[in-house]
Amino acid sequence: MEAKILEFCRLLRRGGVNISFTQIADALRAVSEVGFCQNDFHTALCSILIADRADKPLFDKLFRLFFLSLHKQGRVLSGRDAEEEKSSPDGLPAELAQQADGSGMGRGAGASPAILLIKAVREHNRLLLERLAEVAVKSLEPVSRTNLQHMDTMVVQAKVAIGWYEAVNRLERAKGLENIGETVYTGWTDSLGWLEHRIEQLLEDIFVSMFGGEAIEEMAEAANLKEKEFYRLDNLEIDEIRRRITKLARKLASKYARRYRRAKRGEIDLRRTARQALLTGGTPVRLRYRQKKISKPELAVLCDVSGSVAVFSEFMLQLVYTIQNRFRWVRSFLFVDVVDEATPYFKHEDIEAALGDAFAKTYFSYSGFSDYGRVFTQFANNYLAGLSPRSTLIILGDARNNWRLAEKDYLQTISEHVRRIIWFNPQPRDNWDKEDSIMRLYAPYCRQVFECRNLRQLEEVIEAIL
Amino acid sequence: MFSSIAEVQQKLSEQKYLIDRTVATIIFLALKLQKPLLVEGPAGVGKTELAKVIAGATGSRLIRLQCYEGLDEAKALYEWNYQKQLLRLHIGQVQNKSWEEARQDIFSSEFLLSRPLLEALLADESIVLLIDEVDKSDEEFESFLLEILSDYQVTIPELGTVKANRIPIVILTSNSFREFGDALKRRCIHLYLDYPSFERELEIIYLKVPEIQQALGRQIVRFVQTIRKQKLKKAPSIAETIDWAGALLNMGVSFIDEEIIRSTLGILLKYQSDIEKISSKVSSYIPE
Repeated sequence: MEAKILEFCRLLRRGGVNISFTQIADALRAVSEVGFCQNDFHTALCSILIADRADKPLFDKLFRLFFLSLHKQGRVLSGRDAEEEKSSPDGLPAELAQQADGSGMGRGAGASPAILLIKAVREHNRLLLERLAEVAVKSLEPVSRTNLQHMDTMVVQAKVAIGWYEAVNRLERAKGLENIGETVYTGWTDSLGWLEHRIEQLLEDIFVSMFGGEAIEEMAEAANLKEKEFYRLDNLEIDEIRRRITKLARKLASKYARRYRRAKRGEIDLRRTARQALLTGGTPVRLRYRQKKISKPELAVLCDVSGSVAVFSEFMLQLVYTIQNRFRWVRSFLFVDVVDEATPYFKHEDIEAALGDAFAKTYFSYSGFSDYGRVFTQFANNYLAGLSPRSTLIILGDARNNWRLAEKDYLQTISEHVRRIIWFNPQPRDNWDKEDSIMRLYAPYCRQVFECRNLRQLEEVIEAIL
Repeated sequence: MFSSIAEVQQKLSEQKYLIDRTVATIIFLALKLQKPLLVEGPAGVGKTELAKVIAGATGSRLIRLQCYEGLDEAKALYEWNYQKQLLRLHIGQVQNKSWEEARQDIFSSEFLLSRPLLEALLADESIVLLIDEVDKSDEEFESFLLEILSDYQVTIPELGTVKANRIPIVILTSNSFREFGDALKRRCIHLYLDYPSFERELEIIYLKVPEIQQALGRQIVRFVQTIRKQKLKKAPSIAETIDWAGALLNMGVSFIDEEIIRSTLGILLKYQSDIEKISSKVSSYIPE
């Protein structure tokens, strides 16, 4: 069992959870105290290994897959019989009992599954929902190893098979028509959420039963948000990354505060010390120090917000504006093929609202395709006056210029005007200078060029430049 | 202390504090492994209360250290009683004592003002040390806590090292106001207290407001649980549910309707914007 726990910790680490050696030792001690009854065992491991609440869903998922699905035969844990003895399909509508074996799932055959789904949701019928989840998963093509990477697509397919979207649509309409209260409606969305989660679980189980531990490992890795490339994130993950960026920003802000405190006093101010000494008969009892001036950098952020880079730009803006008190000022510009200033929108306290505003109200796209050359020309002509030789200009973009003119002379003009240009490229370094990417043309004018395609790299580069 | 998880559950319910088995398991482990218990969760789920009832259930004395920005060692650990020392020196001068004698005098434990942390270490009886809202303290204080919580000893330069007579039960609470360091987090056992489930909250209401009618109790809890799911500045806490139930009982209400909710919403919600948000759609939140 100890080996199993160690292996489980290794899995968690692969999933991006930080676990120290002491924590593992404590986990082993804890397990010896509470025994192997499933719930207590789960609680013990979770309360010791998971220091950050955000890691809890991943922990639950891996725990289920590792201890319950993978090692089910070994029966390492006791006390999960309730779930295994699935109740017989008695009391289920006949149509569904039929469909549960996978037959009769053709469109239009028998009662539409959407109607059953609506019924199940309205009645909070867990049994029926469970059945629907099984039907949904059975409707899928046999899975292969490569499908593992496209789990979300499979979930969508499974949902389509039971008429999910139709049902959701009808439920929404019903809410308006029948004047359904929030209490009831919240119950519906809970049921739908439960069903979706269940479908995911069943799918994961299939992969684990077919490919064993390797599948879990792959899933753990896929769940590692720190390593996941920005353009691959789904909406839930984007929310999670936003939360983590807020955390990161707080960390950065307090780190600064600590350095600031330590170095608050500058050198001795002789003039003021001497004057103070007059009060004490010429003995310099108290020393006077010069206040150390903290130089705050000025920051301008120039963000490509075309499709492939938009998410990354959004993260960066969020981060920069969360720690904006660390800068003398922050100005932001958005572009695709036209550049427009977005600074005023960030006067809001609420950064999320500000981001929404900035993206909705600035004029940054004419053709929808990035045009770095044109943007640099425009920036050099219109906005340079607002920047000073003390300013740092951060450019976010993939340098994919859609085969348009590079206009690197304008970037040179900009670089001569500001203190430094730092370029963050969210594309893998291997793809630079391939196809229409012209990073090499722009790189000479930048003090530094970073590859920045996931949260881990973002953390690294931010620490490096501050 | 506690010999089993079930005992934790039972002893705490004797203190009128209901917990489920998960929470009981974590408390049991923290006590068994003698590790600090870090309790996190939204405001008003009973984090501080938990420390109090653990003290009650284990027959320990509760020592509370409330954290705030700027809290330092002098306030948390010990301070020399400067005024008393001055007096002592003054008397010493009158009696013509040597410096050496005086020095030994004034840095003895008589002149030491122990603050909560030192008090917890020095106590002879069993202690529950509650470090409340640890996320409000500064980073320096956090690393200082780390030192104490890992060895349960501190060094006072003039006196030497003070080691705990018996290891106190340490409970830290946090509202995630600030992210605090990983090192401190890793040393703790984590307990996330969330709002209770419908059944649990109902039990709590029956326990705290025993005169309430079952049907009204259910309505109250159902309503509170629904509005907790809305986006509010501050969702109603358990204590507020209890207050509301008590108020409705005193008003002689037997079921809740729009008007009653509107007139008493101020008990549940503390922000004007929240109150406006909920009262504009009260009817849709009322349970059938």
